[in-house]
Amino acid sequence: MTHLIIAPILVPAIIGALTLLRTARHTLLGRGLSLGSTIVQVAAALALFAEASTGTIRTYALGGWAAPFGVVIVLDRLSAMMLLLTGLLALGVLVHAVLTGLDRRGWHFHPLFQFQLLGLNGAFLTGDLFNLFVFFEVLLIASYGLMLHGQGGARLQAGMQYVIVNLVGSTLFLIAAGILYGVTGTLNMADLALRIGAAPPGDQPLIRVGAQLLIAVFALKAALLPLHLWLPRTYANTSAPVAALFAILTKVGVYSILRLTTLAFGENAGAVAWAPAGWMLPAALLSLLAGFLGVLAARRLRLLAAFGVIGSTGTLLSAIALFEPDATAAALYYLPHSTLSGALLFLVADTIGRARKREDDRLEPDRPFAGMGQLSLLFLLSAIALAGLPPFSGFIGKLLILTAAEGSAAAPWIWAAILIGTFLALFGLAWAGTMLFWKTTAEEELASSSWRKAATIPAWGVFFLLAALTVFAGPATRYAEATAQQLFAPEAYVAAVLGPEGSGR
Amino acid sequence: MSLEFLVASAVGLMTAAGIYLTLRGRTFSVVLGIAMLSYAINAFLFSVGRLIVNAPPIYAKGVTEYADPLPQALVLTAIVISFGMTALVVVLALRTYLETGTDHVNGTPDAGETPSDSEGDV
Amino acid sequence: MDLLLISVLPFLGALAVSLAARWTRTAQAIIAGGFTLAAVLLLVSKAPAVLGGQVIGSRLEWIPALGLNVEYFLDPLGLMFAGLILGIGLLIIIYATFYLSAADCSARFLAFLMLFMGAMLGIVISDNILLLLVFWEMTSLSSFLLIGFWRHLPEGRQGARMALAVTGGGGLALIAGMLVLGNIAGSYQLTEILIAREAIQTSPLYPVALVLILIGCFTKSAQFPFHFWLPQAMAAPTPVSAYLHSATMVKAGVFLLARLWPVLAGTDLWFYLVATTGLVTMLLGAAIALFKDDLKALLAYSTISHLGLLTMLFGFGTPMAAVVGVFHILNHATFKAALFMNAGIVDHEVGTRDARRLGGLVHLMPIAATLGTIAGLSMAGLPPFNGFLSKEMMLEEATHTVWGGLEWLVPVIATVAALLSAAYSFRYVAHVYFGPRRDDYPKAPHDPGIGLWGPPAVLVVLVVLIGLFPAATAGPLVQEVSGVVIGAEPPYFALKMWHGFTPALIMSIVAVLGGALLLWRHGSAERIWRALPLPVAKNMFDRFTALLVTTSRTITDAIDTGSLQRSLFVFFLVAIGLGIEGMSAGEYAAGARDTIPASSIDVIAWLALVGGTVAVMVSQQHRFLTLVYISVVGLVVSLGFIHLSAPDLALTQISVEVVTILLLLLALNLLPKRAWPTSSRTRRIRDAVLAVIGGGGVGWLSWAVMTRQPNDPISAFHWAQAKPGGGGTNVVNVTLVDFRGFDTFGEIIVLGIAALGIFALLETAARGASGRRLLAWKPDLIRSPERHPMMLVVGSRLILPMAIVVGLYLFLRGHNLPGGGFIAGLVFSIAMLIQYMASGFEWAEKRRRIERHALITLGILTAAATGLGSLVFGEPFLTSAFGYFHLPLIGEFELATALLFDIGVALTVIGAVMLALSQLSNVAQRAEKIEHVEHPMDIDPSRTTETNL
Repeated sequence: MTHLIIAPILVPAIIGALTLLRTARHTLLGRGLSLGSTIVQVAAALALFAEASTGTIRTYALGGWAAPFGVVIVLDRLSAMMLLLTGLLALGVLVHAVLTGLDRRGWHFHPLFQFQLLGLNGAFLTGDLFNLFVFFEVLLIASYGLMLHGQGGARLQAGMQYVIVNLVGSTLFLIAAGILYGVTGTLNMADLALRIGAAPPGDQPLIRVGAQLLIAVFALKAALLPLHLWLPRTYANTSAPVAALFAILTKVGVYSILRLTTLAFGENAGAVAWAPAGWMLPAALLSLLAGFLGVLAARRLRLLAAFGVIGSTGTLLSAIALFEPDATAAALYYLPHSTLSGALLFLVADTIGRARKREDDRLEPDRPFAGMGQLSLLFLLSAIALAGLPPFSGFIGKLLILTAAEGSAAAPWIWAAILIGTFLALFGLAWAGTMLFWKTTAEEELASSSWRKAATIPAWGVFFLLAALTVFAGPATRYAEATAQQLFAPEAYVAAVLGPEGSGR
Repeated sequence: MSLEFLVASAVGLMTAAGIYLTLRGRTFSVVLGIAMLSYAINAFLFSVGRLIVNAPPIYAKGVTEYADPLPQALVLTAIVISFGMTALVVVLALRTYLETGTDHVNGTPDAGETPSDSEGDV
Repeated sequence: MDLLLISVLPFLGALAVSLAARWTRTAQAIIAGGFTLAAVLLLVSKAPAVLGGQVIGSRLEWIPALGLNVEYFLDPLGLMFAGLILGIGLLIIIYATFYLSAADCSARFLAFLMLFMGAMLGIVISDNILLLLVFWEMTSLSSFLLIGFWRHLPEGRQGARMALAVTGGGGLALIAGMLVLGNIAGSYQLTEILIAREAIQTSPLYPVALVLILIGCFTKSAQFPFHFWLPQAMAAPTPVSAYLHSATMVKAGVFLLARLWPVLAGTDLWFYLVATTGLVTMLLGAAIALFKDDLKALLAYSTISHLGLLTMLFGFGTPMAAVVGVFHILNHATFKAALFMNAGIVDHEVGTRDARRLGGLVHLMPIAATLGTIAGLSMAGLPPFNGFLSKEMMLEEATHTVWGGLEWLVPVIATVAALLSAAYSFRYVAHVYFGPRRDDYPKAPHDPGIGLWGPPAVLVVLVVLIGLFPAATAGPLVQEVSGVVIGAEPPYFALKMWHGFTPALIMSIVAVLGGALLLWRHGSAERIWRALPLPVAKNMFDRFTALLVTTSRTITDAIDTGSLQRSLFVFFLVAIGLGIEGMSAGEYAAGARDTIPASSIDVIAWLALVGGTVAVMVSQQHRFLTLVYISVVGLVVSLGFIHLSAPDLALTQISVEVVTILLLLLALNLLPKRAWPTSSRTRRIRDAVLAVIGGGGVGWLSWAVMTRQPNDPISAFHWAQAKPGGGGTNVVNVTLVDFRGFDTFGEIIVLGIAALGIFALLETAARGASGRRLLAWKPDLIRSPERHPMMLVVGSRLILPMAIVVGLYLFLRGHNLPGGGFIAGLVFSIAMLIQYMASGFEWAEKRRRIERHALITLGILTAAATGLGSLVFGEPFLTSAFGYFHLPLIGEFELATALLFDIGVALTVIGAVMLALSQLSNVAQRAEKIEHVEHPMDIDPSRTTETNL
């Protein structure tokens, strides 16, 4: 059991490497390995989730070097939740990619996919700042590969931008990490928390610079306005299943903001305390509005979904930006919803594009096609989810955020932005849906052979996850609440990582 | 003039060059900008370990003056990673140019070149 | 529990119907009807208890954290509405089964209808306002689906979108309002809120909550100025109009007014907002209805008018008005649903619902005519039908109401509205059924089967029964329901035809006579009406949506231009801004560490670096030169590392430098060699300013950190533990492969993936547009005539073994002295690459034994396996072990598991670099049309067709 915690990192690393071999390339073996690996990761995540939900914080010192000297990975409620979410989403996306044959339309899909999961899982587990950077790089470089998978002019062009923006972002990450190490003398996040708290006042402005720059990098990944400019082109130009997987990439940014702010830049951090709180809320509200405005403006479904991701991440961050347990609990409930609903719309968009053929996912009328009923139902459900209308989890999440924001001075702004954003999304999605399914050209119906019915299975799977999040909203909100409590009492985390006194090997 | 000043100013200059170059319109300039930024960052990250002359972090008994090994290890990792990234971006730039016929980062075609059959016109 | 069952029955019905999509329509109708009937029966079984004053509740915990639980309760108000929803729903299911054409998908229709029914039912029995919100928005959504059921109709699509935007949007305001209300009352449970009147009305947030809730109610109940969506929704099939848009959904707003009446009503604000809105809507709706020729449009505006009437009654805020409101809800639902179904019959049988093309149908369709006439006269407010009773009572209430000090205003407007109402009702009856028979009906009209006329007939029977025996039929229900609405014992009232010569009777007579007169002069009245410059709400809405969409596109396109420069510029700007923000907090203290004086050599190196950097910037148009300059910068950085006690860094930097420059050269060969700047002068200045600030900031940060004392860094531990714990004296290497081996593990994977990315990118370079460009590529630099100069080939062969030895040496000593797996891997790769460059891709490729992909795999697996080995001994992943060995020539060296790990590193590096660079040189050579090189020393290589890869 003790080594289970590294399974989410080791399994994709090893399987990813194995699927590189010629024998596994483009064969059933490769698919089987990749699927098997993902299922194992889900299982491991479930076991870790069960363990974390008891409230224990488990640490694992790599190489046997105790924190803060070696690299530790830490499992708490938040990381367990992120692992599980990643695994489940990945499984859906992978099955979709296999069913639609995306994995055979280019090189190395499965290795890249597994390495992507490796990066994600690593980022969620690590308790070391520089190691977080390394896993960011792993997940980013895998995402470059996946983003470019299938290629084509537009994808290359958009990929170029995506890569460069993130390279520059990584540069800033190193600056921030460098400052923090240079001033505090540590890289371990728990140790950082202690040392920032004890830092002399003269050092604190420098630490605050490091904190702000670090959060800026995370905000770039989370596509927080005005750092969101890279996202629409990237997500709209990659293949839809990859974009669906990328729904979790923005959440890595969100996760990191939450992790580091509550742990190291929180209550006890002196002049560094809650460094991002001042600017993050307006930025989040603006991304919310810009995102949903983009939903209304989009002329393609995938672009619409991309803007939807910006909008829902904005919603999420507007709750997180309050840096307060209730709002964080609300955000933690909304986070899986935001991820899954964004991904769902991408998966649905992919199938719609395949089924319509001529207009692809452009919001223009096309021929009617066989099996429209099922797809329109799926679209309807995903649209309701993305807009955050009842009865699905998005609505519950928004209610949670609205009520949690009630006490804040910014409540009117948050309320107005969320409700206006929902209205814009509602409007945009209704328009898109009527264009795609109701307004058809007078031509003959396209035969059913144009798309495989089985291709909707993963989308339904993701939808059922959303449904489960809705039905089991009670336990889910309880988990989110407990997670928020854990985050806002970082002493337990610090004690778990450093021990009572925090010594060497 | 102190060594610290030389290093800091060099870091600043390389960063400035990196920022300026990444803001240019041609992929080649942008790639050079990225390369510049990674020099700057490597030097920066190295500098946070403080400067010391003639005291490499090779352990020997009794030595108390030594360069901080940790930032060096970090820089090594960073160098390798940025090497991989730079290589990828160079090839991506090349490949994008070959595919689209323009080396402008936003895909703006140059005069005389026909725009490619891009699929992402939204 | 029964309530839960009732509430889920419609949803189960929806599911069952959609599963029965392939069955016959009758079977589907039986399923839908069966579920509805079951719910009706359950409800009826509860009726005696509820009317006897018992409140039935049921509770299921859902989200306690939010206060959102599945809480239902059934009181008389809920009972009445539930009865209407289920009862009329049942009739509509029967009616729709016969109404829909064979081409319509009845399963879809019935499923949507049941979905709506469930949502609507949920609204009226919710004991939790958040749950109510859930159902509220669900009715908007299902209404959207039903209005757009005939997806081919453009007006259906527009109507559906409009209805969704208005009612769904209003629902969002309602969400806010309800949350505020719950916040004031301290609970989201309705029964709790209903007893908090004091707290609510004295709260400073009361106006906010009220206005937001009213927006929700008014949009749903089509009150002015949100009324316009309802007529547009008439694009829906008639059963939908009859059900949603007359009897149920539009009543949701009125229901909520009634539901929250005890806590919200009674204030001036309530009166002026609600009563006035109702008054205006009543008048406006009635006036427009009179001049609509489409029967459904006429009925739609009439519905708006009646909803206005109800709103006005609840707005009065007096108990008696509330009683009348309750009674009229009942009456309106019966006659209006019947009329819609009647209009549907006319449309179905005659083929048109344009009043100008109808008339004289009484002779052809006597049953429909009878039903239509009775319902129509009830709507006109004629005795002995139920519409008369409640209208009379409404007029009575109007006479007691003073608006803004004006005693006459409400009675007069109410009378005018009643007059108009009588006029359009008469018109419906007269222009459809009476008058001369025509011979130009689109179809041959005849009475439909009982399936179509039966359901409205049931309602018409109710119209008559309630009209004749109000006290016996509706009395008890109205008594109990109004008790709930008022929240107290209702005032004494008598439901009866004859109240004596009251002012209301006179107003009523005026209204009926005036209405008849107006109909008689309908033509002239219409001319006057058409001449009025009335704004058309639909057009305004269309303009609004068009504006919204254009604005959203303008804004989105303005922000998101797809420009990389913009993304980066903003990012740099944000970073600089946040850096400044960070510095401005707290009290910054400068560091006190002594600085090291710089020697003249240092300054010269520095000058070289500065010169190189500046040269890179100014030589952008000459790309080969730029490469030369940037390698100067890289060289100085490497030298700097040597000087500043970082030999490992220097070795790595220099070897990386070589490979990078090699790569850039290969790439640049195919890229344009010269390029003119694309940005304007102002832009360059702007960027330069930003660059100076950013660079200055980073330089300053570097200075600020360097000049302060280290703060007990954790690396002291690494220094102390490197030898005893890690078995090596090169602390950097021990850190890389041991203390922070996990970072390195990630790092080699990054490198491996980079190589994969490069490989995949180049693999396809020979195809499509890219392949054509490669073929068309012309060398633009002067070449050596020899492709593979003898000197180079021979030299490279000699280098190879030497490089392998050097690499091995660097590798083995890495743990104790500068070196290590990464550097060794690079050295080895460079030697290999030289083979490729000197002898050509084909030659070298043929002599390659191991697949490069497999090298990466092997590298990663070696590293992972080393780490995993420790698991066997119960130690954490990557725990190292070591021992010392002696070999001749190399001397004393140690074997640490870390060394194995380092082998993994080296293998990955070799695999990655080879994979990437050989592929690139392949493409480069392909561009130069050297596709097949059999002999490495060929000057003029033979050009056979490509077969490789």
